[in-house]
Amino acid sequence: MTRASALFVSFVAFVSSVPCANAQAVTQRGFFEGSALLFPQQAPNDPTQVVGDLLAREEIFFKPAPWVQFAGGVDLRANSHDQVEDRWRFDVDDRGVQRPRVSLRRLTATFTHGPFTVDAGKQFIRWGKADIINPTDRFAPRDFINVVDTEFLAVTGVRAVAQHGDETFEAVWVPRFTPSRVPLLDQRWTVVPTEAAGVPIVDAGAALPAGSQTGLRWGHVGAGFEYSLSFFNGFNTLPNIGLVGQVGQVGQVGPPSVIALQRTYPAIRTYGGDAAVPTKWFTIKGEAAYFTSPAADADLSRQSGGAATADEYVLYVLQIERQTGEWVIVAGYAGEAITAHRSALSFAPDRGMTRSVVARASYTIDPVRSLAFETAVRQNGHGVYGKIEYSQTSGRHWRGTVTGVGIGGHSDDFLGQYHRNSHVAVALRYSF
Amino acid sequence: MSKGQAGRVGQAGRVGFTIALAWLSLDVRAADNARQIVDEAQKRTDVTSQRYDGLLQVFDAKGKVSDKRWTMERLGAHGQSKAVLRFTVPAEVKGVALLVVNHPDRASDQWMWTPAIERDRRIALQDRSTRFFGTDFSFEDLEERDVNQYEYVLAGDDTIDGAACWKIQSTPRESKSSQYTKSTVWIRKDNYAFARIENYVKDQAVRRLNYSDIQNVQGIWTARQLEMTDLRRGSRTRLTLDKLEYNVPMKEEDFTLQAIRRQ
Repeated sequence: MTRASALFVSFVAFVSSVPCANAQAVTQRGFFEGSALLFPQQAPNDPTQVVGDLLAREEIFFKPAPWVQFAGGVDLRANSHDQVEDRWRFDVDDRGVQRPRVSLRRLTATFTHGPFTVDAGKQFIRWGKADIINPTDRFAPRDFINVVDTEFLAVTGVRAVAQHGDETFEAVWVPRFTPSRVPLLDQRWTVVPTEAAGVPIVDAGAALPAGSQTGLRWGHVGAGFEYSLSFFNGFNTLPNIGLVGQVGQVGQVGPPSVIALQRTYPAIRTYGGDAAVPTKWFTIKGEAAYFTSPAADADLSRQSGGAATADEYVLYVLQIERQTGEWVIVAGYAGEAITAHRSALSFAPDRGMTRSVVARASYTIDPVRSLAFETAVRQNGHGVYGKIEYSQTSGRHWRGTVTGVGIGGHSDDFLGQYHRNSHVAVALRYSF
Repeated sequence: MSKGQAGRVGQAGRVGFTIALAWLSLDVRAADNARQIVDEAQKRTDVTSQRYDGLLQVFDAKGKVSDKRWTMERLGAHGQSKAVLRFTVPAEVKGVALLVVNHPDRASDQWMWTPAIERDRRIALQDRSTRFFGTDFSFEDLEERDVNQYEYVLAGDDTIDGAACWKIQSTPRESKSSQYTKSTVWIRKDNYAFARIENYVKDQAVRRLNYSDIQNVQGIWTARQLEMTDLRRGSRTRLTLDKLEYNVPMKEEDFTLQAIRRQ
């Protein structure tokens, strides 16, 4: 048992032993969810058309004193399409290619003293104000096994916040890197180029950076508006993809029989800002970050596995938001401007979704039923994504959701390449 | 909170902080001035803080009921208070929280924390007329409305649930941003407790808040049940206050954006 898992077991045991008199200091939430995805089309590298998934989550919060709180959470998963590891191990760092069967979702101690707050442990850190893409959200790796239905992963580190009047100062230190989980190479969300069709692609692993990551953020809340500036020094959670080997048939000239790909995570620095300004009719939100990659820095290059070959670019989002009646509407444009192109092959959904018009809307039919819509259209028309979701609750515990996702476009476009992955999803959740 | 605030922090004595209102039942002074009546009602509810567990029952137009529960904590003086609402039931919204920071001279600031996405979102002024989390309370209904933010006109006498009331028309001052053009307020003559508030957009009544089960809690007459009716939708939400306490020790740092992140 690892130190972290031992710590979590100790935490649960401690919480369980708290006398009833302190019952109010302990709260929990959790759910069981079963879902099924139906893909009408087969993918060239993945004939599977039905995928079943199970997830059980439990989170416990314990506040033994006004100045300290502990939070712990565990996920238990199963999947019909090998998206979950077979091994029964307690995973604490979310670094595997597949989702772990049993994992530590979070384990955090939060200390407060006056205007100061410190969160230490495995936690979720979210930066930014936009709803479409968050260029400044650098401590938020995600699970992209299903590219259009992602989930955030926690990072392990320390977050310190000081609040003084309308100003908030935040410092983050993450000593251990958590990468985003990329699509599995033998499944439909990895699109194989036509030229490589029929050639097995194998995972040559990841060169995970050993260095720590740091970030600073200053936020200001004004009368009706707010903005923040941020700085991040660390590694992109999204990998560059490197070809580390093409194994040909012995003694023959021709196409390789196996392609081996390795993931590397470039060192980056970002300088970002975000703002939300309400107007009479809607709220305008903007968020931008300039990504630099210190390619000339030999130390950083070594830390990142020698792969500091990332582009330098600006990601930006401008959106409007309005709630009216039962509608919540968000619409905007996500853009990118490349300042230095280093032609690295990468998996970058954040950049792939830029140069797009994106819109979301939700409609509350009544207290138990709701509809949601989402679309993204590339400005060159080469990729289109649309989603419609109907959700209904029953009683205090049950929620059923039916989702239809349509994707179309050209194979050379980030969105369009998934044109065979339109699907219908059905999910049933029991919350407790 | 300043010493001045601490000494005079007030609670439900304003026109419409609709979540928890209560008024002292002392001798009724003759009041022929609408503003004096409302001011007196506010004075009688001066407390340092308040806490309760609320049961929300949302009845749609067809009578279907859905339940929610929240806890509410409030600290500070009339017009300068801060409040945190945190959902506890149903399970899937457990932890969702709303921070309301009231100001004496302008509309409140509001932020909602959604644990499922680990994000807080500011509720913009133009969005305050929308319903709060599927209830018939709008976001604006959750903010405190200090007596100084409105103009008042005495519109006569009336009877609500058998109790004699002053009927007062209130109109928001220019500095007060409100979805409502005006409100009619009924205040009981026997204890200065609110009996009803009817809110208008132009000349159409759009929301009605009824106060009932009025009890004396720690010397403050408090409506233990509030029912908001959305007159356009035909739906209503009943809020029942449990475990209500006044003057509970609370800290300023528990009413910040950082604090609502904690469960």
